[in-house]
Amino acid sequence: MRFSYYPGCTLKTTAAVLENSALKAARALGIELLEQEEWQCCGAVFPLTVDEIAPFLSSVRSLAAAKDTGEKLVTLCAACHHVLKRANHVMKTDKDVCNKANNYLQLPDQYRGGTEVIHYLELLRDELGFSALAQKVKKPLTGQKIAAFYGCLLLRPPAVMQFDNAENPSIMEDFLRTLGATAVDYPYRTECCGVYLSVQNEEIVAGMVEKIINSALRHGAEAIVDACPLCHYNLLELQQKTTHGKLTLPVYYFTELLEEALGLEDRAEEKMAI
Amino acid sequence: MYTSRMKELIRKVEETRPVRLGVDFPRMTPEERQDVLEKFHPDFIEAGFRQLQAGVNKGDRVSRELADLLEARSMIGHVELDLQEIVHDVDVLVVGGGGAGAAAALTAKKQGADTLLVTKLRFGDANTMMAQGGIQAADKANDSPAIHYLDVMGGGHFTNLPQLVYTLVKDAPMIIKWLEDMGTMFDKEEDGTMITIHGGGTSRKRMHAARDYTGAEIMRTLRDETRNQGINVLEFCPAVELLLDEEGKAAGAVLYNLETEQYLIARAKTIILTTGGSGRLHFQGFPTTNHYGATADGLVMGYRAGAKLAFMDTIQYHPTGAAYPPQILGLLVTEKVRGLGATPLNINGEQFIYHLETRDVESAAIIRECSERKLGITTPTGMVGVWLDCPLIDLIHGEGTIERQLPAMLRQFARFGVDIRKEPMLIYPTLHYQNGGLLLDEWGRTNIENLYVAGENSGGVHGRNRLMGNSLLDILVFGCRAGLHAAQKCEEVKLSKLTLDHVHRYHQQLQESGIDTAGRVSPLLLPRYSHREALEI
Amino acid sequence: MTQVPLVDIYIMGKKYTVPESLTIMDAMEFAGYHLKRGCGCRAGFCGACATVYRIAGDYELKVGLACQTKVEAGMYLAQIPFFPALKGIYNIDELTPGTSSIAAYYPEIYRCIGCNSCTKVCPQDLNVMQYIAYAQRGDIARCAVESFDCIMCGLCASRCPAHIVQYHVGILARRLYGKYLLPRALHLQQRVDEITDGKYEAELQLLMELDPQELKNRYNNRDLEA
Repeated sequence: MRFSYYPGCTLKTTAAVLENSALKAARALGIELLEQEEWQCCGAVFPLTVDEIAPFLSSVRSLAAAKDTGEKLVTLCAACHHVLKRANHVMKTDKDVCNKANNYLQLPDQYRGGTEVIHYLELLRDELGFSALAQKVKKPLTGQKIAAFYGCLLLRPPAVMQFDNAENPSIMEDFLRTLGATAVDYPYRTECCGVYLSVQNEEIVAGMVEKIINSALRHGAEAIVDACPLCHYNLLELQQKTTHGKLTLPVYYFTELLEEALGLEDRAEEKMAI
Repeated sequence: MYTSRMKELIRKVEETRPVRLGVDFPRMTPEERQDVLEKFHPDFIEAGFRQLQAGVNKGDRVSRELADLLEARSMIGHVELDLQEIVHDVDVLVVGGGGAGAAAALTAKKQGADTLLVTKLRFGDANTMMAQGGIQAADKANDSPAIHYLDVMGGGHFTNLPQLVYTLVKDAPMIIKWLEDMGTMFDKEEDGTMITIHGGGTSRKRMHAARDYTGAEIMRTLRDETRNQGINVLEFCPAVELLLDEEGKAAGAVLYNLETEQYLIARAKTIILTTGGSGRLHFQGFPTTNHYGATADGLVMGYRAGAKLAFMDTIQYHPTGAAYPPQILGLLVTEKVRGLGATPLNINGEQFIYHLETRDVESAAIIRECSERKLGITTPTGMVGVWLDCPLIDLIHGEGTIERQLPAMLRQFARFGVDIRKEPMLIYPTLHYQNGGLLLDEWGRTNIENLYVAGENSGGVHGRNRLMGNSLLDILVFGCRAGLHAAQKCEEVKLSKLTLDHVHRYHQQLQESGIDTAGRVSPLLLPRYSHREALEI
Repeated sequence: MTQVPLVDIYIMGKKYTVPESLTIMDAMEFAGYHLKRGCGCRAGFCGACATVYRIAGDYELKVGLACQTKVEAGMYLAQIPFFPALKGIYNIDELTPGTSSIAAYYPEIYRCIGCNSCTKVCPQDLNVMQYIAYAQRGDIARCAVESFDCIMCGLCASRCPAHIVQYHVGILARRLYGKYLLPRALHLQQRVDEITDGKYEAELQLLMELDPQELKNRYNNRDLEA
């Protein structure tokens, strides 16, 4: 199984753990992820102004490059996935933007949205299949009570993202159960973590994080997993800020659990008690 | 692109190629070498030289073009200047913005001296930027400063000043370390070992490089660091005359804003001249590999102030400068081309000299072929040259060698329609380096107190001939040393009145010697090429 | 001597008739310019002569180094001899080789909109946008290697809608790479230590005082590394 792979800048810096564990797991699962030869920052925020084409350009370049290889484009960072998927949707549906972008980029072949963008979780569920994944699990996470946190970038807007049922998603819980863990259901799992406010108004974000963490704890979670470097930062850093340095609920990337269940890496003890 | 007539001539090269392939042309005997040098090397062409009739080197033989500038009137001869109107008052004044100047300024500043660097063009516009090959330093286990010393002395035909060579080779590893510490991207093995190769006349592989942009990489690193250190740099503002104090010690310079054409007085406790070479004087009509600003300004200013010149009758010519296409006339064709097996041929497609004689002998033989023997190839612009049969390289080493090993050359010629994989280059010797200059000691001091020199405008380190890779080294070793000493010297310098009396005295000497300066003024600052091509068409 | 065909060019809007074989730089001199700015090494290394031009009838702006580009009929040209770019002032000894160092001095790299104007304008054919992308994600090594051939002419910065000074980002990356990421040459440090300890002093002094003929003998009989 071979795919084009778009990592994103954060995965090369602060969220290196997410990428390293995902790539290691992919290798063990026989999935070939080929990092695109050239890619640029996706912009991290999907541009809502459709009369400006510049913010779409780097996404379109990557999408077009993937089309040339004939492979699906796999993303891992929720923010990059969000931007690429939506930019692709615009290229498919907005003729005006599509023409402008093609005129500007002067690609050898016109790009009109032909690439399929899938998230790593979708790769596991739809390409590999959770049942095939279950067979590869060497160290099931039996007995561990884990809460999944979706955030909003993967799910919304549902018509475009088509990731899962946006109001009641199950892909992460299904994933956790495949690894042998017990998935904790709690009401705040699809809330926004407040990410775009964390620089300007940390107080608001801290309040949202507190609600999420407390809700998961109340429902018996022993750890929380996410798929987004932005959520991850807030859940980890702001949790510690509100609790004055004490980490009441450990936070992991979903790929870290995958790595562990595949018997590739033990979860470091110190991580449990940051 | 070659003209149809030239393409016809190339056919002769192609006809003789199979016969020549694999056959080594005999090397010259020592007698033959001496003979061709004396008859044809520009250094031996008496018409190209004359004796100075004024100044400290009176009676010495120098190139005519330089003599014309030394025996000229100061460009500020008729300018009313108020020397008390001091615009810049500093400890150390560095004149020249190449590698030597940057090294001097950085070192002086590190000593705490208030340092000003003035330069004629942009900071970094210098021959340093164009040095491709590398920089020598004996830092490998099988090498030592002593072995380096021997190579330098032999290369200079044992005319170099021993104390300067000692200083050069001993400081060399420290200089490389200094560059490494600043983040210069040297070519290295995976474990950090420097990748070093041979240069002409080296007995050990000690040529350090940064791709084929060694000088550029060093220059831009030094420039970046100079800016980080907050050193004041005035661009397009050359010094045009030195100022002395009443005791005859150097004490400042008259600066000239090239754009506003205003003169500015700079006072300094010590002055370091790092103005570079003189290729743009086009000695004996030769094209040059040099930078636009290489016009011997420092020599002119220093000489008027009484500083001694040394080895000014010897110039390094590189045997293979481009003679065609005219757009790249004089451009350096790296020695590597001959190293890989390309041979020089005359108009009949015949080889006339072994292709790896020393630079001076190879040059002289090419000149002989074009002049006395009249077997050169004339270009549409009237330039004469000989073929350098570069397609041989791929025949000897296999297809793709040129593309891999000489990408810069391939690109340079391709830009103007010549494919050096299939067509020979047309070449002629080109002016490359000024071996001599203002005489210095191991701290860059001249015979004028508080006046220092470093780099190509100094003379003594290389004697009568410089080895490849020792000029990038020279500029940094003596740039740093001059900067250090000049900064320390500041503490004991007492300021007194600035004068231009030495200029008036020099003018008087010129007059007394009966020299007709014919309206010449110097320094030249910039060569004048306006309408040059009109004469050549 | 053969007659070289002539072409009309427009230097800053003024028409001159020049031989078609000339470079832009030679053509300007042919036209009578005595260049001060916009002329440097004349061999494509120094970046002094960045030139913007357009051919009559074509809308596309092209660029080239004046010393490396031939004139064409109907060429409208102007030089960009200076660009007022902001350079970060840093102490290289106190930096770490990562994203934070570049972000601290050149935060504007995160304003890159990926328009690729910088790459299109580079006379050295560097992939400028991509080396900025490497800088954004802290890949100092690749930023350094990709930007190595930069001659700092400033054309990229002149076209950047995000006000990035690409060439200054490049040199910071190269210095970080050269200083911190390339492994140090241990043999170099060792030799510096030896010289400081005076290891070669006696040998050098001996050579300096040697009889000239004996020095020549030693030179002629020195062994050469293959």
